[in-house]
Amino acid sequence: MAETASKIRGKIRQKKREATGRGRRPKTPRPRIGVFVCQCGGQVSSIVDVNELTNYAKTLPNVVYAEQMNFPCSRLGQEEIVNAIKKNKLERVVVAGCSPRLYEPTFQRCVSQAELNPWLFEMANIREFASYCHQANPKQATEKAKDTVRMAVAKAKLLEPLSPIELPMTKKVMVIGGGIAGINAALDLADMGFKVYVVEKTESIGGYMALLDKTFPTLDCSICIEGPKMVDVGRHPNIEIISYADVLKVDGHVGSFKVKIRKNPRYVIAANCTGCGECRDACPIEYPNYADMYLGVRKAISPPFGQAVPLTHTINREYCIECFKCVDACGAREAINFDQKPEEIDLEVGAIIVSIGYSMYNPSDLEWTGYGKYDNVFTALEFERLILAAGPTGGKVVRASDGQKPHSVAFIQCVGSRDINRYEHCSSFCCMYTLKHAVMLKEKYRDDIEVYVFYNDMRSNFKGYEEFYNRAQKSGVKFLRVKLENRKILEDPQTKSLTVSGETEDGKPVTAHADMVVLANAAIPQQTATELAKILKIPLTPEGFFVECQPKIRPTDTDVPGIFLAGACQGLKDIPYSVAQGSAAAAQAAAVLSKNVWTVEPLVAQVNEEMCSGCRVCESVCGYNAIAVENRGDKALARVKEGLCRGCGICSSACPMDAISMPNYSDRHIIAQVKAVMGRGDKT
Amino acid sequence: MPLKTVKKDTAEKLTLEWVLHVKNYKLSLDRNRCVGCQICSLACPKEAIKVEKQPKSNGEKTRKPKVDIDLAKCNFCGICDILCPYGAVKVTLDNEHSLPIIEKKCFPKPLRDIQVNPDKFPADQNEIEEACPLHLIRVLAPVSERTESKATVEVEKEYCPCCRVCEIKLPLGAMQVRKFIYGKIAIHQEKCPDGCTDCLDVCPITGALFLQDKDKKVAVNDTFCVYCGACRVVCPVEGALELERTRIIHEPIRSGAWNKTLERLTSPVGIAKELKNKGSLKARESVKKRVGLKGG
Repeated sequence: MAETASKIRGKIRQKKREATGRGRRPKTPRPRIGVFVCQCGGQVSSIVDVNELTNYAKTLPNVVYAEQMNFPCSRLGQEEIVNAIKKNKLERVVVAGCSPRLYEPTFQRCVSQAELNPWLFEMANIREFASYCHQANPKQATEKAKDTVRMAVAKAKLLEPLSPIELPMTKKVMVIGGGIAGINAALDLADMGFKVYVVEKTESIGGYMALLDKTFPTLDCSICIEGPKMVDVGRHPNIEIISYADVLKVDGHVGSFKVKIRKNPRYVIAANCTGCGECRDACPIEYPNYADMYLGVRKAISPPFGQAVPLTHTINREYCIECFKCVDACGAREAINFDQKPEEIDLEVGAIIVSIGYSMYNPSDLEWTGYGKYDNVFTALEFERLILAAGPTGGKVVRASDGQKPHSVAFIQCVGSRDINRYEHCSSFCCMYTLKHAVMLKEKYRDDIEVYVFYNDMRSNFKGYEEFYNRAQKSGVKFLRVKLENRKILEDPQTKSLTVSGETEDGKPVTAHADMVVLANAAIPQQTATELAKILKIPLTPEGFFVECQPKIRPTDTDVPGIFLAGACQGLKDIPYSVAQGSAAAAQAAAVLSKNVWTVEPLVAQVNEEMCSGCRVCESVCGYNAIAVENRGDKALARVKEGLCRGCGICSSACPMDAISMPNYSDRHIIAQVKAVMGRGDKT
Repeated sequence: MPLKTVKKDTAEKLTLEWVLHVKNYKLSLDRNRCVGCQICSLACPKEAIKVEKQPKSNGEKTRKPKVDIDLAKCNFCGICDILCPYGAVKVTLDNEHSLPIIEKKCFPKPLRDIQVNPDKFPADQNEIEEACPLHLIRVLAPVSERTESKATVEVEKEYCPCCRVCEIKLPLGAMQVRKFIYGKIAIHQEKCPDGCTDCLDVCPITGALFLQDKDKKVAVNDTFCVYCGACRVVCPVEGALELERTRIIHEPIRSGAWNKTLERLTSPVGIAKELKNKGSLKARESVKKRVGLKGG
């Protein structure tokens, strides 16, 4: 065995020598290197002795120029670097300063201004690696900074010029989720002339906003302002709605995402259905309607609500008894097809916007609320459907126990949210919608109703919201501030009325009698987010919201180029902010789609085809599906998909034949750095 | 938010409920009337109903099979209510017994043809009431020789499986009953285990099954059998009891759901026959309409 293994190793070495065309080690190049040490506004210079470091850099092999600067990232600083490169005929540039994550592109542009290939630049991070973490030992920090610079110089010596890779751009975009954020993103992009596919999981676009009665703080009718936008989406020549569909698979990369979608069968042919509703009238079967929060029913063939877009009806086969009365009612239109099968659709898009929204927490596991046990305890969304004129009760607020109008209603804030045992986050819009409900009740029934709000903090922190809070107070709503702990709801088994109790901050009991209780239950991440995150390979927070690239300055980008976020799936937000973020994501996507080619950094894996044995180890380790073995001629060879490769290098280290290398991060570069830090670098 | 549902199961009654804010759907199964036959479980389009044989304890009579309904599958359509021969199931909407599938003519009711002729009733009140094995006949006022008035009799038709026992037991012409389920039943006595009377124990119709004197084996009287299949459920030997429904008399309503139900209750042959009949009827009618021919 040992013999065989050593023989194989020998063969590999032999092959490698043949492939590189050289018998011995390649000769070490001797380029002219310049080092620029950044003080970083004192963040580096207060700990690391930058004078000593600059002088030390000058002594390093091949370094012909070194200087210290205060802000090399500023415009003036960059000009200084450009001049120094030209004056000293520098061939490689090292900047010792902050992390390359934010400023590497800046310096690469700077280097290319001096007509040097931008990949002949190297950054030594002496801020995070030296000054930040060794503040107590300035001396040792300086020594470490020296090591870091020495390594960077050793690597810079071996850097090779690279050129960026260009990928084709498909001028189409997919919006996943047709809520108010997705609707705005889709309309903006379509108006800019891009083809938009809106993929919606449910039967109709519109999201939660389509189910609401009024919107705060103006008390506009929700569907009256969203409905026209929904219709616009349906009619726009550049938009195709793919509703009642699931995203199964997304491959590819920015510019060319290959998407597989499953369109679930409605058993109604969308092209033939006019939405007339004759089938619905003929249908004998009703089932609880989710869009009514199960307070009301819908027919086994029906749209979820009257303003649905598309209005194509859907047969729920779980409830349908197949009497085929709908087929008779539809008649010559022949829109009903009981043999419809799920349909798979393949799309190619250049960019993706994720706007899948949120879902609502079911508070029946919070025992103190009595939700699910007491008849007259509702969630906010149930109450919304009660007070809605087009809702199951025709807008009459009535109790479940006896169908009577309540004379007192208590709203309870923060149910499940701001609770470290359930959901730690604040649901952000409950304070406002509770104010909305309270004001609506007061303005509808005036003195005939007593409204209590049990709150802990009233968060009315955007335009016009505080004014709305004042309106609620003036209208006679009673606000009771209680702690989030020790709240309780008890039911009188005879009258089915409820007693709500809590404690003030200083421990005094507060109670109110109410005929009906409405819980502001937590808004929580969409259930499908976990699955979609896996499909799109974008990260989620531990709670389940999508993670933006940078929370302050890139709130709509994800870590994956070409995938953007909009609306509550990124973090809970109300309608105006979801709309704004939808448009923001559209603008971001348009910036990508408007390019004719997409350029990527050339730091992607390269396969030496002479040495590749097609063993597929690389394929199995790659986390991005960026490398695959293909048959080429009579040989199976690994091929890198440049748009997908993130340059992580895992394939390179896993390759048993040593056939994969990372440009400017090859073994040579890394070994040179290791030797430099171990003090065994060549002293040439 | 989840749908509020209720399921209550007692020895007397099984109740399923959808408690919606604006509507209430309720299904109740009267366990006293239920005989544990096959009809509802076969008819249910959602396969929500299970009929289970009860374990037999030594020396006791075989208990009737127990019906259980899966709340998650039930859609409160009411087909079980319509077809139950014994009227044991009631589906109500807002506590009213009016089924949308009947009102919208989406499912036909079986036709119970029961004619009562008070002229012919005997004087003995007990004789009249005892004539029904299910005690559905009640005498409100007996025959009075003094006033020469006829008997006033009430028959709870909705619970009547139309077994025809009363027709035979009472004087000729007092009751006239037509079956609404037709079929075939046969017991292959050579396969029956010795002393087994399971089918007889559960049969709700006195006289439909009986014990033969000579070998103590159960035999069939086809005249009274209503083909509900309770016996079929409890029979311990494969193939000993053969039961097949061939026809169900119903209102003339076209319905896909009915066709499927009929196929499950009878056989593909049964449904083919019915469709052929309907088809030729329809063809005949359309020919009549067009050509103006009279007769068939």
